[in-house]
Amino acid sequence: MDIATQSEVLLRSAGYETWTWPGGSVPVVCFENATVVGFLHVFASGESLLADWQQIQQTTLGRHAASLRSAGTKAWNVYALFLACGSEPALARRIERIEEDFSMTRKIARGDLRTVADLRRTLLPLLPVLSAPVIGGADYRARLRARLSDLPDDAVAAFLGAASASEVARILVDAP
Amino acid sequence: MRLDYLELCGFRGFLERQRVDFGTGFTVICGRNGVGKSTLCDAVEFALTGQIDKYLVDKAAKESLDDYVWWRGEGHPEAHFVTVGFRADDGSGFAVTRSRETGADRDAARIEAMLCVPGAKPERALQQVCRTSIIRDEWIAALSLDLTETQRFEFVRAALGAIEGPDYAAKAREALSSAEAVHNAAAQSYEEARARLTAALTDLEQIRDVALQAGDVAAVLTTLDELTPGAGPDLGARVAAARKALARRRSNLGEMGWVADEARAVAALRDTVARHGDSAGRDAAAVAEAEIAVQEARRQLQAAEARLDREQESDGLAASLAILVDHGSRIGLHDDRCPLCRAPQGAPEFEKGLASARERLAARRSAVPEARGEVAAARTRVEDAGEILKQAETVVHRLASAQAELEAREEALSAELVRRSLDGGLAYDPEALEEVVQAERSRLIDLERSILTLEASQAVERVTELEARLEALRAEADDASDRLARAHAAVRTTRTLDRTVRRTNAEIIDERLAVISPLLNELYQRLRPHSEWRSIDYGIRGDVRRFLSLRVGNGLNPQFVFSSGQRRAAGLAFLLSVHLSRPWCNWRTLMLDDPVQHIDDFRALHLVEVLSALQRSGRQIVCAVEDPSLAELLCRRLMSEPTALGRRHDLDLVPGGGASVTRSTDIAPAMVGVLRRARDLSAAS
Repeated sequence: MDIATQSEVLLRSAGYETWTWPGGSVPVVCFENATVVGFLHVFASGESLLADWQQIQQTTLGRHAASLRSAGTKAWNVYALFLACGSEPALARRIERIEEDFSMTRKIARGDLRTVADLRRTLLPLLPVLSAPVIGGADYRARLRARLSDLPDDAVAAFLGAASASEVARILVDAP
Repeated sequence: MRLDYLELCGFRGFLERQRVDFGTGFTVICGRNGVGKSTLCDAVEFALTGQIDKYLVDKAAKESLDDYVWWRGEGHPEAHFVTVGFRADDGSGFAVTRSRETGADRDAARIEAMLCVPGAKPERALQQVCRTSIIRDEWIAALSLDLTETQRFEFVRAALGAIEGPDYAAKAREALSSAEAVHNAAAQSYEEARARLTAALTDLEQIRDVALQAGDVAAVLTTLDELTPGAGPDLGARVAAARKALARRRSNLGEMGWVADEARAVAALRDTVARHGDSAGRDAAAVAEAEIAVQEARRQLQAAEARLDREQESDGLAASLAILVDHGSRIGLHDDRCPLCRAPQGAPEFEKGLASARERLAARRSAVPEARGEVAAARTRVEDAGEILKQAETVVHRLASAQAELEAREEALSAELVRRSLDGGLAYDPEALEEVVQAERSRLIDLERSILTLEASQAVERVTELEARLEALRAEADDASDRLARAHAAVRTTRTLDRTVRRTNAEIIDERLAVISPLLNELYQRLRPHSEWRSIDYGIRGDVRRFLSLRVGNGLNPQFVFSSGQRRAAGLAFLLSVHLSRPWCNWRTLMLDDPVQHIDDFRALHLVEVLSALQRSGRQIVCAVEDPSLAELLCRRLMSEPTALGRRHDLDLVPGGGASVTRSTDIAPAMVGVLRRARDLSAAS
């Protein structure tokens, strides 16, 4: 999976402006919307991520320091993402602990990305709500009519129609 | 529809009139404990529903929450009211004012019409609106993980809204009740018809038995005339009179039986007395003879006792002589004189005298034992003679008693016979008396047979009547049975109908839950309560009672494996998914009252990001927090745009008491294109 490209696809779909920044030692995708700016770093492995993320963040922020200084309150909403594929679970857990470092940036770190779904889950803090349950009509009457096919037709018609409940009962009692 | 403003005065902790304008995008309310943050949420709910649903305890010490809705501190507010204003996307608005004096200025139906989609809203829609739109600190765990599985199912079911169309479940229940009522009535009619038929059958059989005994009525009437004269011509009256006479004479016959038994007993006693009367002379002679024998035995006893006295006296003299001989022998002669009799004696003569005395004493034999034996034998003879006398006297006495008893019983029996209008002489003739009793018994049998014959003649007609009635009752029972069978079938069918409706409803709910499940999981993943368990699943079971369970990891219940902070985070995911899944609700505002208690900074940040995502998905966010830095984070991270501004209100207590909005700030939109400018500059250079 091309993490950088897929990330841009997802972020742009969520309304972010994205572009790549070639100045880093690893591929970097910059992104920004009305409230957030961020830098997404893609590492070749979990080990290199764990070893280099601080230095690479320093470099990225340093090169964008002027812009961030002029960003006002937006400078508080800087995201730094450190992503890699294929790390073992133990290493992946260590990588995730990077997120608990609140200094300078809000960090998102994953070392075990394999699919686009994994990437989408990782980027959730930056994305709008993806699931939009649509609870539509249940075609209730048709369902009931199908389920009640064993009952006398006139009773079903009365039940689904305007007849009272006692009238339905009377029809069933009088049924041959 | 979004919250536009809130105005309140004299409500809870607010003394003065206050107005809170909400940002179209978001509003952050900040203040320390007790400055009225929660009251703003309460005010919205109270304006809409007239109640505040957050307290677990409704009453305490005879006071209820209603006593504390309006200001109770020092001072007097200028008014007591709450107004909440809403604004739709098209710019139209409406407001609800609820005052202490006049209540709400709009009825619940009109408020529902503004906030809910017609036809799809659940029962108690406004309460459901508030419960799923205003997420309070108190309820985050209580309304989610801490609910029982059935309560959780009901909570979600209500939040998802009604199934469109008429309430067929209620109609099916009502139809089932009606069918059961018809069935119960048919069952009762059937039982009553069967009871009548059974009773008629029993009557018929009894009447038939009676009818079989029908015989010669004329002969019977003659018998009745003899036995119960003067009963009149009416047959029923004659039967009744005969039954009375029969009862009376049966009682009399019973008593006569006792009299006959007594006569036989007296006759037996009489025979006994007569037999003993023959030996009366011998018994008297035996008594006289026994008395003589007793006197003779007593005389012999006296003689034996006199001899015993003499022998005992003789033995005493002999003993004294032996003592004297021994004494004289020890003393010897004294001055040639015998020491016992002072007679002058020589020694040989003295020794000879002693020897002679010893010989006589030795030759003497005591007769006392023999005399004692005679006394004992005489006493035995006296006792034996006395016993014989006693027995003879007893025989004589017993005979006398039997004679007296016989005379008394004969006299009583004779009197009883006379009282019963019979010959008193029958007391001395038990056989004749028995013949009298047998004759009466025979008359009673004739009388009873006569009665039965007469009744049987009446029963023949009754049999015909009853047989006709029985046919009608059989038809009636058959008809009732048929009605019962049809009612039973109708109940079965209606149960099927009821089950089918419930099952169909459950299917729809299940499907709706399946639809919202990805949202629940997404929110759970965003809030990340647990570092290992990254997803949450729900399960539904039960047919009549429905259970909704939540599971994480390998089927674990988060209620029992999560810490309180994790439970609140998972609970928030649940409540937010419910909030976002209400197709029936037009109100697009999410109010959170202090949602970050017990949640660490890391997960508080996740929550802020979730709120940002919700806002970007079109929700208006209103969030009350205590921590100013968290309020700042919310203001920075939530999106304020020119068309959907954010706003912050800081609350505090003011001098004189009461809470107040001390500062309101519009949040300016963040700078746009910060990094892009740098990129453009870099590209240009």
